[in-house]
Amino acid sequence: MAADEEADVFEITDFTTASEWERFISRLEEILHGWKLVNHPNRGPALKDVYTSGDWEEKSEDIFFADFKFTVTFIYLKVPESGGTDKKESQSPEQETEQDNADDESDGTLPTVFVDMMNMDNDFPFRAHCLCRWYGLQEFIVAAPASNSDVIENESRMKLLMSSISIALHNTECKVPLFVQFQQWWRKIYSGMCVMPDSTVEYEMVHLKKLPSQYNHLEGLLDIFKGKLGSTVSPRPPVSVSVRFTYVLQEWVNSPWPQSPPDFSSSLEGDVGCSDFRILPFGACEDPVSELHLSCTWPSLSEDMIVENQVYSDLDPLQAPQWTVRIQMTEDPQCLLGEYLKNCLQLCHRKETTDELLGCLFTEDSDNDQGADISQALQRLTQPSVSYNMPSLTTVMSQASSRLRIKAEEAPVPTELLNEILLYLFPDAKDSENTEKEGSKDEDSDELTEDEMRHQTYFKQLSKDLKSSPVNSVVHKLAVSLFTVNYHHGGLRAVAHLWQEFVLEMRYRLENNYFISGVENGQPNMGSCLLHQKLQMLNCCIERKIKREQLHKGYTGRRHSTDVTDLIPTDDNYIGCPEDVSMETDDAMNISVSETADNNESCENEHRASEQANMRLASNVDSSSEDEFFECAEENQSGRTEPVAGAEMVARSEMAGENTIVQSMSTSSLASNTSFKISGIPQHRPEGRLTPCGDLKLLRSGEQMYIPVTQEPSPMTEDMLDEQAEVLAKLGSSPEGTQLRAKMQSACLLSDMESFKAANPGCALEDFVRWYSPRDWIPNEGEEPDNEMPLPGEKGQLSQRMLIPGNMWVEVWQSAQAIPAHRQKRLFDDTKEAEKILHFLSAMKPGAVVLHLLPCLVHAAIIRVIENDDSDIPKLRMLLDQVIGKAAKVLRSPHQEIRRYEDLIKMISLAEVVIARAKSLKTKFTEELLDQPGAEEELNYFVSNLLQHPEVSIRGGPCGPAGSVIHKLFIAAQKSSYLVLDDETEENSGEAYRQSPTIPDFPNPSGREYILRTWVPRPAPYSKTLPHRMYCVLVDNDYRLAGAFSHDTIFQ
Amino acid sequence: MDDQDILTTLKILIIGESGVGKSSLLLRFTDDTFDPEQAATIGVDFKVKTLSLDGNRAKLAIWDTAGQERFRTLTPSYYRGAQGVILVYDVCSRGSFSKLDAWLNELETFSTKHDMIKMLVGNKIDKDKREVSKEDGLRFARKHHMLFIEASAKTKEGVQCSFEELVEKILQTPGLWETDRHGMTLGVDNADTARPSCGGYCSVV
Repeated sequence: MAADEEADVFEITDFTTASEWERFISRLEEILHGWKLVNHPNRGPALKDVYTSGDWEEKSEDIFFADFKFTVTFIYLKVPESGGTDKKESQSPEQETEQDNADDESDGTLPTVFVDMMNMDNDFPFRAHCLCRWYGLQEFIVAAPASNSDVIENESRMKLLMSSISIALHNTECKVPLFVQFQQWWRKIYSGMCVMPDSTVEYEMVHLKKLPSQYNHLEGLLDIFKGKLGSTVSPRPPVSVSVRFTYVLQEWVNSPWPQSPPDFSSSLEGDVGCSDFRILPFGACEDPVSELHLSCTWPSLSEDMIVENQVYSDLDPLQAPQWTVRIQMTEDPQCLLGEYLKNCLQLCHRKETTDELLGCLFTEDSDNDQGADISQALQRLTQPSVSYNMPSLTTVMSQASSRLRIKAEEAPVPTELLNEILLYLFPDAKDSENTEKEGSKDEDSDELTEDEMRHQTYFKQLSKDLKSSPVNSVVHKLAVSLFTVNYHHGGLRAVAHLWQEFVLEMRYRLENNYFISGVENGQPNMGSCLLHQKLQMLNCCIERKIKREQLHKGYTGRRHSTDVTDLIPTDDNYIGCPEDVSMETDDAMNISVSETADNNESCENEHRASEQANMRLASNVDSSSEDEFFECAEENQSGRTEPVAGAEMVARSEMAGENTIVQSMSTSSLASNTSFKISGIPQHRPEGRLTPCGDLKLLRSGEQMYIPVTQEPSPMTEDMLDEQAEVLAKLGSSPEGTQLRAKMQSACLLSDMESFKAANPGCALEDFVRWYSPRDWIPNEGEEPDNEMPLPGEKGQLSQRMLIPGNMWVEVWQSAQAIPAHRQKRLFDDTKEAEKILHFLSAMKPGAVVLHLLPCLVHAAIIRVIENDDSDIPKLRMLLDQVIGKAAKVLRSPHQEIRRYEDLIKMISLAEVVIARAKSLKTKFTEELLDQPGAEEELNYFVSNLLQHPEVSIRGGPCGPAGSVIHKLFIAAQKSSYLVLDDETEENSGEAYRQSPTIPDFPNPSGREYILRTWVPRPAPYSKTLPHRMYCVLVDNDYRLAGAFSHDTIFQ
Repeated sequence: MDDQDILTTLKILIIGESGVGKSSLLLRFTDDTFDPEQAATIGVDFKVKTLSLDGNRAKLAIWDTAGQERFRTLTPSYYRGAQGVILVYDVCSRGSFSKLDAWLNELETFSTKHDMIKMLVGNKIDKDKREVSKEDGLRFARKHHMLFIEASAKTKEGVQCSFEELVEKILQTPGLWETDRHGMTLGVDNADTARPSCGGYCSVV
C-alpha cells in the first residue's frame, strides 16, 4: 500500500515535468520506488554456487524515452528464506530507511556491489545471465530496447541515456547497478553504473573480433587492467587472478557410433529375420552425445605466482586444481523408436480407403478365382476333419490369398513376409509341436536379474494402467508388426494390405469355428482397447456358434433316443401348445413366441416341417448341416427361403456323406410329431433343468423346484454399451421413461421366466420369485423356514411391490411361455454380432485402423523403453513415471485425440533419447580406460551425474579416476587429429604420447576466461581504497573485456 | 436447461441387494417423493439431477440397478466410468448387510476408476425392527474407506445429505472428474528450456 501512495506522489510530479527527458527520469524513479529498491538493505555475500543452484527472479516494466520503448528488468537472486541473517535485515527495513547513510557505513557492511565484485565463490557459473557472469552481480537492473530491432548506436544518445540514469539513481539513492544495452542485441554490449553515497562503480565493456596478440594472454590483460586503474600507489597491491580454460572434445576415438548396427537392416533388405517385425526398433541412429567440454579452473592465484605470455604458460590443464565437465548433447538426435512412432501417428490423418490404396492390385479375372475358390473349398472338405482341429498354415494361407486376389508380385508386403507375420500372429496355425517347444523356451528364462525384476513390476503396472491389450495378445502383435510393415514396406498401403489379410483371417476363423488365438475368452474386457474388445466379442460369437451347433447335435440325438417320453401331456393353460409341437418337430421354427399364432398357421408349420423332413430323407441330410439350417430359421417364418436352404443342404450333404442315422432320426421325429398331434394332451414334460433349487418345492404341486438352464446374457463391447446406455438415458427421468426402460430390458427376464416355466411345469410367479428374487417372498410368521416336510402350499406371500397390479414382473410372467432356453429366441444373436464386427473391421479405413492400434503401439513402445533402461537414472525413472501416467490418461480418455498422442509420443521419444545418451556415455567412459582398480563405482557415479546435471565437477580433478579417463580421451582425440597411425601399443599409448613432444595432450583451449581483481584507491592516491574487477573472455573471434571500476566521489 | 454453468457431469451408481430401497432413495432425492409400492427395478434405471454445491453446479447422471442376483450379470457393465457409488443396505435385514462384501468385490472388478468415491447408506431407519446397528455400519465403512450415513427414503432423513456429501467428495478428488468447460489443457512441461530473458543466459563456449 505504501508503495502505491509513493507512486501516486510521483505521478503528480510527473504532470509538471516538461521534457521527454525529465519524464523518462521520473518514470524510472517511479519504477525504482515501485520495486522498493530505494534504501534497499545490503545483501550478504552469495553462498558458493548459489548462482547456478539458486532461483533467479525477474520483474519487468516498460518505459518510454520520447517514442523509444525500453523494457526495464530487475533481475535478482532470490534470497533463501531460511537464511537467518537475511531475516534480521528484512525485519527492520523501516528503521533502515530512516537511518542516515553514514550509519550504514558505520555498520561495516560493504555495499552489495562491492561484495559481489570480490566474492570468489561464484566465479564461473555454467549458466547465468551474462551480466551476472561478467560482473558477479546478484542483483541488477537492465534497460534494453523493447524490440530487438530497435538499436541504440549513436554515441550521444548513449551519453544522454547514461546521464539520465545517473540522475535517477542519485535522486532515488538506489544502490542497485543499472545497465543499458547498446548496439545490436546479440552483441550483448552493456554499459552501466552503480551509485553509492560516497562512490560510484562504472561498468564498461570492450567487444572485439580480434584481439591484438600482445593482449591475448594473462600478461597483456594485466597490463590493460593496471593501465585502466592508473594507480600510482606503491607498493601496488597484487592483483588476484581466477582463470578457467575450457577444452572441447569432439572426436570420440574410442567409441564411434553406432556401437553395433541396429537390427532393422535385415528387414530393410526384405530378408525375413526373426526379430524384425516382432519388436519395435530402439536406439539412436546418431550419437546423441556430441561434445565434451572440460573446464580447468584455477580459482584464486596471485599475479606473481603464474606467468602466461606469448611464449610461455604456467597454465597446464593437468595442473589445474578444479576440473568440471559439461556434455553437449546432439540436438534432437534421430532415434528409431521416436521416428517410428511419429511416422505411425501421421498415418492417422490419412483418409484413403483400402480400395483406393490397393484397388489397382486386385486382379480382374474373377472366373479364374471362382474356380480356385471351389477347388479350395473342396480340398478343405476332403481333408480328414477329425485329425486336426486347427488349420494348418498352408490352408490358412491359401485360403487367405485366394480370396484376396492380390497380385502377389505387386503386393506391398511380400508374400513370404506376409506368411511369416500371419504365422507370428496366429501361432496355432503351426503344428502343435512347434508351439509347445516355444512355450518351453519361454519358461527357461525364469531366472531374472534385478533389472528384469524391476522391469517385470513395471510391465505389470503397465498392463493394469494402460487401456490397450495384453502383451502377447494378437492385437498387440498386430500393432507391432503392422507398424513395422508400415515403416519398411511402403507405408499405408502395406498397412492396408496386412490389415485386409487380418480381417480375412478373422472371417475364416469365424466360418470354420476356430477361436482367435491370443485373445482371452470371456466377456470383452473393458480395460482393454476397443479393437481387442471386438476380437474378444468375435471369440464369444464363435464360442456360442460352436455351442449352439453342438447342442443341436446333442439335442437331436437325445430326442432320437427318447422321442416317445418327450411327449408328456401339457397343461391346458398354455396357449402356445400347438406351436410348441411344431417347434419340437423342427428346430428351424424355434423362435416364434408369437401369441397370435392360430391353428392355421401351426398347421402350415406342420406341413412345412413334414415337407422338410421328406427333403432330408431324400437328400441324406448330414447332422452337421443343421447349423446352416438353424440359421435360416428366422427367415423361414415367412416360409419362402426354405427351398434355398434345402438346396444348400443337398449340396452340403452330398459333399460329406454320412447319412443313415439322420435318416432314421428324421423319420422317427416326424412320426412322433404326428402321434403327438393326434393325442393333443396339453401337459408338457419338464425341460432344460439345471439343478434342484435347494429344498424349495413348488407351491401348487409340491414338487421339487428346479433352476433352469438359462440363456447367458449378451456380451458387450464398450461401444455397444455406450450406445445402449445412451438409448436408455435418452428415455429421460420421467416415470414413463422408467417404464419403457424396464420393458426394453425385460427380454432377459422373459427368457428366464420361460426357461423356469419349462423346467418346472405347473409353477407360479411365486415360485419364480422365490428363486429369482428371494427377498420379495415374505414367509408367513410363525412358520419354520426349514420345514422338513413342507406342505404343497408353503405359507407366505409376495412382497407388496410384486403384488402391484400390472407391474412388469406380473406382465412378463403372463406373457412367458414354457420354452427351454435352447429353443428360445436368442438373446445374443451371435451370427448378427459377428457380422457386425467383421463389417466394422473391414470397413475401417487404414488410417482409422492405425488410430485403433495406437494404444497397443504406445504400450509396446513403453515396454521397449523400459527394456532398454538398464541404468538406474533417477531422471529417467521420473520421466518414465510421467510417461506411464500420461499414457494411462490418454488411452482412457473417451475421445481418442491424435493431438494428445503427439504429446505422449514426444515424451516417449525423450525417454528414448535419455537412454541413448546414457548408453553413449557408458560406452565412452568405459571401465577399460580405468587404470586404478576398484574405481568403477566412481566412474559410474560420474556418468550418472553427467546425465542429471548440466555441469559436473570431477572428484579428484585430473588425478581422479574420471579425470584420468577424460585425459586419455583427449590424448586419443589429439592423436587422431594429428593423424598419428594407431600402432599396436594401444595400451601404452597414453604414456607414449605424453612423452612425445610434438603432440600436446590437449588441444588449444576453446575458451579462456580470466577474472582480475584488486583493491586500489581511485581516482587519486588519497581516495578511498575500493575494489575493481575485470572479466575477460577470449574465444575465437569473440573477445570481451568487462570491467567494473570504482570511483571515490568524495576524495577525488 | 442451461448447461453453460455446469461444472461437470458425474456418473453415480446405486447398488445393493434387492429390496433395500435403492430406487426409493433415488426417487426421494430426485423427485422428493416416496412410493411404498415402488416396483422392482428391471435391469438398470436412470435419473438426472443437477446439484448445486458451493456455487458449483454438477449434473448427476444416476444409474439405479436391480439387486437380483440374476441381473448382476447384466448390470456391472454400467459400472464403467462411474465416479461415485452408493452402496445401500437395509438396516432391518442382516442378510442385505452381510452381502456388502460381495458387492464391493464386484465393484472392484468392474469399475474403471479405482479412486471412485464409495458411500455406504443404511436405509429404512424409520422401521422398528432394526437388525444392523449403526456401529456395524460405521465399522464396515471405516474398514473399506467409505463414507457412511444412515437414511430413510420414507422420512427423507439423510437422503439429500448423502448425495451432497458424495458429490462434494468427488469434486474434491483431483483427477477423478473432468470439467465440461474446454480449453483448460496443459502442455508438456518444459521448465528446463524456457527462461525469459534478454537472451543472456548462455554458456561461454
